[in-house]
Amino acid sequence: MAKSKRQLAMVMDLNKCIGCQTCTIACKRLWTRDEGMEYMWWNTVNTMPGRGTPRDWEEMGGGFHQGQPRPGRLPTRREFGEAWDFNHEEVFFGGQGTQAHLKVAGEEPDWGPNWDEDQGAGEYPNAYYFYLPRICNHCTHPACLEACPRQAIVKREEDGIVLIDEDRCRGYRFCVEACPYKKIYFNHVKKVSQKCIFCFPRIEQGVANACARMCPGRVRFVGYRDDPNGPIAKLVDQWKVALPLHPEYGTEPNVFYVPPLAPPRFDEEGNLDESKPRIPDAYLISLFGPEVLRVLATLKTEMAKTRAGGKSELMDILIAYRWKDMFGGFDRDPATIEWTKA
Amino acid sequence: MSENQGSEDRRGRISRRAFLGTAAVGAAGLAGASLGLCRLRPTAPLWEAGRTPTAATVYGDWRDLYRERWSWDRIVRSTHFVNCWYQSHCAWDVYVKDGVVWREEQAADYPQIRPDVPDFNPRGCQKGACFSERMYDPARVRYPLKRVGPRGSGRWRRLSWEQALEEIADSLLDTVTGEGSERVIWDLGPLYTFGTMSAAHQRLAFLLDSTSLDMNTEIGDGHRGVAETFGKIVFERSADDYFFSDLILIWGANPVYTQIPNAHFLLEARYKGAQLVCISPDHSASAIHADLWVPVEPGCDAALGLGIAHVLVEEGLFDESFVAEQTDLPLLVREDTGRFLRGSDLGADEADALYLHDPEQGIVAAPRRTLSLGGLRPSLQGRYQVDLADGRRVVLRTVFSRLRDRLGGYDPERAAARCGTPPALIRDLARRIARARSACSVTTSNFSKYYHGNLIERTQALVFALTGHYGKKGSGFVGFPFLVHDGLDGAILSVIEPADRLRLVGGALLDGLRLRRAGYTEEMVAYERSRKRYELGVITSGALFWYVHGGLLAASDALEQWDPHLRRPVRDVLLESLSKGWQHVSPSPGDDPRMLFVYGSNPLRRVRCYPLLLENLWPKLRTIVTLDWRMTSTALHSDYVLPVAAWYERTEHKWVTPLMPFVHAGQKITSFYEARSDWEILSRLARAVQERARARGLRSFTDRQGRTRPLADLYQRFSRGGLQAESDDDKVARALLEGASNLEGVDWEELKRRGWARFTGVGKSEVSIGNASEIAPNDTITPLTRHVVGKQPYPTLTRRIQFYLDHELYREMGEELPVHKDPPSAGGSHPLQLTGGHTRWSIHSAWRDDRLMLQQQRGEPVMWIGVKDASARGIRDGDRVRVFNDLDAFEVMAKVSPAVRPGQVIVYHAWENFQFRGGKGFQNLIPTPLNPVELAGGQFHLRPMSLCLQPSHTDRDTRVEVERL
Repeated sequence: MAKSKRQLAMVMDLNKCIGCQTCTIACKRLWTRDEGMEYMWWNTVNTMPGRGTPRDWEEMGGGFHQGQPRPGRLPTRREFGEAWDFNHEEVFFGGQGTQAHLKVAGEEPDWGPNWDEDQGAGEYPNAYYFYLPRICNHCTHPACLEACPRQAIVKREEDGIVLIDEDRCRGYRFCVEACPYKKIYFNHVKKVSQKCIFCFPRIEQGVANACARMCPGRVRFVGYRDDPNGPIAKLVDQWKVALPLHPEYGTEPNVFYVPPLAPPRFDEEGNLDESKPRIPDAYLISLFGPEVLRVLATLKTEMAKTRAGGKSELMDILIAYRWKDMFGGFDRDPATIEWTKA
Repeated sequence: MSENQGSEDRRGRISRRAFLGTAAVGAAGLAGASLGLCRLRPTAPLWEAGRTPTAATVYGDWRDLYRERWSWDRIVRSTHFVNCWYQSHCAWDVYVKDGVVWREEQAADYPQIRPDVPDFNPRGCQKGACFSERMYDPARVRYPLKRVGPRGSGRWRRLSWEQALEEIADSLLDTVTGEGSERVIWDLGPLYTFGTMSAAHQRLAFLLDSTSLDMNTEIGDGHRGVAETFGKIVFERSADDYFFSDLILIWGANPVYTQIPNAHFLLEARYKGAQLVCISPDHSASAIHADLWVPVEPGCDAALGLGIAHVLVEEGLFDESFVAEQTDLPLLVREDTGRFLRGSDLGADEADALYLHDPEQGIVAAPRRTLSLGGLRPSLQGRYQVDLADGRRVVLRTVFSRLRDRLGGYDPERAAARCGTPPALIRDLARRIARARSACSVTTSNFSKYYHGNLIERTQALVFALTGHYGKKGSGFVGFPFLVHDGLDGAILSVIEPADRLRLVGGALLDGLRLRRAGYTEEMVAYERSRKRYELGVITSGALFWYVHGGLLAASDALEQWDPHLRRPVRDVLLESLSKGWQHVSPSPGDDPRMLFVYGSNPLRRVRCYPLLLENLWPKLRTIVTLDWRMTSTALHSDYVLPVAAWYERTEHKWVTPLMPFVHAGQKITSFYEARSDWEILSRLARAVQERARARGLRSFTDRQGRTRPLADLYQRFSRGGLQAESDDDKVARALLEGASNLEGVDWEELKRRGWARFTGVGKSEVSIGNASEIAPNDTITPLTRHVVGKQPYPTLTRRIQFYLDHELYREMGEELPVHKDPPSAGGSHPLQLTGGHTRWSIHSAWRDDRLMLQQQRGEPVMWIGVKDASARGIRDGDRVRVFNDLDAFEVMAKVSPAVRPGQVIVYHAWENFQFRGGKGFQNLIPTPLNPVELAGGQFHLRPMSLCLQPSHTDRDTRVEVERL
């Protein structure tokens, strides 16, 4: 498979993510509103631990195991959750008074893209959860690309963005099975597979992705992986505090996460118990690999420095005093683009 | 490489040569264009010299469809004129394509205020990011509608604007001339802008002498405890001021849900070194990001606060000089009466003087015109004697020493027994607060939604006062955020007859001078002006209005069983309060309201126990008119629904808060069916009233003060002789800002272009002046500096931060000092406490029925319940349950989570009634019992004024039981 010369990447700081789904809506309003795309959420934010989007996606296989493709299964639309419509007209203008109430039209839903929001795991008062935003990982070793018998999936040489060629795609959905992150959706109207395009039309104009630029939590850093002055190299390679999700899936994702801290838990008497973390280590390791413990230790060390009144370059990067510094140079204001009739 | 990337500095048109260069990049443009797929091309170069080309691939295929999608005809700045309060506002670029608003993206061009503090970009949330869909969705009102079936039936007839306004004008004239102008009621809601929308309402309501409801205490934002303590509720920092805190208490708040664009400042302050402590019953979305989460029983935070105060006092961790100068703790209280020693007791010249003890000078009058102590060193503790003017000798003690007695009952062990927080954690928390350099709290309107919320807030204020955390950068317990331009008063005065104007302005000026001579500060004078309007009844307490005229008081009849501290029926206290003039309600009890204008509000969704309003108030109302851009629970029960222009369909500006001290504006981008701006609708209504008055030969009416007011020139006056006519939104908006003293140098055209402008001061308005701070262009805002640094007295009885209230109702209820009282079992003795909170998913109900927002939830209302409570009742996640108490029942989906505290169930804010089966929502179960101390009045700062010190409505003490369906 063709290797890209450069790679665009994203770092998401889970300690700043507030689960507001502005990224989700930013993406929805920009890219997935046409017929056949209504149920697609190329960007999702799920509460973890949770069953996620599509439901139980972590148990659906795909990706690679010890270098070999691992079988995957096709999620159903119901597992993603349908794009519900509602009976507003009936309620407001239907003349039925309180006999009619607003509800999802058709079958009663039992799942959606954010169904288990804020539920988490544990036992009160030691409940725990955090938010995990996800887009296509634009992997260095994309399972989707390898799985496509049509060679309809390309990894762009210049920036490593993985795109499904909708002209070549015949809707076989092997890519959907192969993607271990289950971030590819099938368009049932156009009969093609579709997914996050890393906002390539924006990137081409020097504008950061909609999910990143519209994030009010200032969670997402964007840039080239190999730009030594950019935020990605600093967080991933120099400070080593950003990790890929499920590295064991073997696809080498290019979306990285600063893993979540949590407040201390309580012992049986209700007193603070710092002997073990609120979010079990094993759970975080299952998501981000064993490196996660070292990363959390680095974060705590650097936070201790600033708490003592000192300086920390890492904290300064994560704070992002200037918002535009988060975008590795892709900081153009889209409003400065002047379009003209071709 | 970043300097070679596109940047906003490259604003402006690109030369033709550059454009050709772009097109020459490959065959992409040509191929796409020939297929008709690539109608648009950027004129800006795709990359500059030296930058790696990222789009050098030759396209001409499906990819162009995506490029095409991300293109537009024009971009217009706007915002959403909705009250998202703490998080307002955000400048948006609204993208228009083919005449349709296609999407929006944050403008994100706010300046960095200080280089050592993060900037405000990009402000906005998921709700703002989908308004372009909401504005075209089926909830919109397209035409004027008139009810043709019974109220609430949902059967409508489309009317022309002319006919609708003529019918409403006739009803108005019938009421104003035949029954009393004060019987026309305006319910004001979260769409109130302080811009053209408000100018229209205030002019019409003034000219017709109508009654407007102040709904701030009714919605539960009255912050009574803050008002009792500070004499005002409005003071708040800027969101970037958190950056100077080293301890941030999220105490009763959930900013991760309710302050989406501000939350990053909290989390970034944490990276800067601040400890984030979250105190809440549930492991909330804000708690997950805290350094310390402190669980507490819902509504029992006063016990926690008193436990903390106990540790601070007993361990000597309090700031003696702050307490002596800024608080009433050194003031002397008579042991015989429990009242402050006053000048009148001693026969002193200044009857209002209060006293303290100085080791050298003995008992001396406390300074009233400044907080500065001069050479005084007030004793905090001690027992003194004084001879009164009548010859009696009485014993005196300081407030501090009484407080110390009170705190004796709240050692951490005993406090823990009430609040559920472990004693070790209470001690830990107290020491952290005492050690902090600059501790602050995060705004919340949570506690004023509890029956005893005032006691909680007084306790919170006490903890921060004992530790001196006020007035320093990054420090302070905060009240209520509100920042408006102060040009609105002028806009009202301008429609008044010159002679009346002279009388009003002159009278106010003389009053002001008299009060200033008596030592009143500018803010006290502003509050006196406000109180006058409440006495006149032109503004009245929404909460009292619903209790008295809406029949809501009936739900408080069982209060004697619910509140063990109650001494006598609350109806008796209400009668006493009204008869003594402590509180006012307009119209007077017995004078039924006849017309209701629902103006950007939704009382049948909002008011707790609203079925009582339908039962008691609705039959009294001849005409109910809802003006809104969408259908609401209230619109469904109205006689007329008038379609209002939504936020991209009007030119307007709106108030904000100090958290984000930038006024925001937007201009009309598009139109929607027959929707019109509020300004235009009320202008046309004024004209219709004028025309109908002339046609019916109605020359005048008698106002509530018995003065004759003309009707035949109503529109002439409303529009200032046609200078501000019905389509002059832009002119009116400009005039309002030009009259403002706290937007110096702000140009309306520039404001519209940019969408925002930084406030230059807190201004003179009674709703903002309380911030008692400056707004500098290059610094964060810290509230109360005029008091703490400038030594200006607080607008309280004692002129200090006041913890002792010697009003007779407080003494009757044992609330002279902060005390913990268990929440009443409102709704009957049932095992679960139904609480709430503002939601992540909507601003009030404006997005509650929005398709995209519901898709990100469960498509219907949910109630949160803990794992143990659910399993004990056989309830699984997603089950439908019946929730009931002594009042009523409703059905809802259960959402089960270990994050919810046992014994608590949560329904987040503002589901519309029509989202529940049978139209019965959770509000039905909330009796909002009237707390008698809230009926106090007649004492310097315990008198009703705008936003506060009126009785309130509460919901979070509601007891329920749940069963699986």
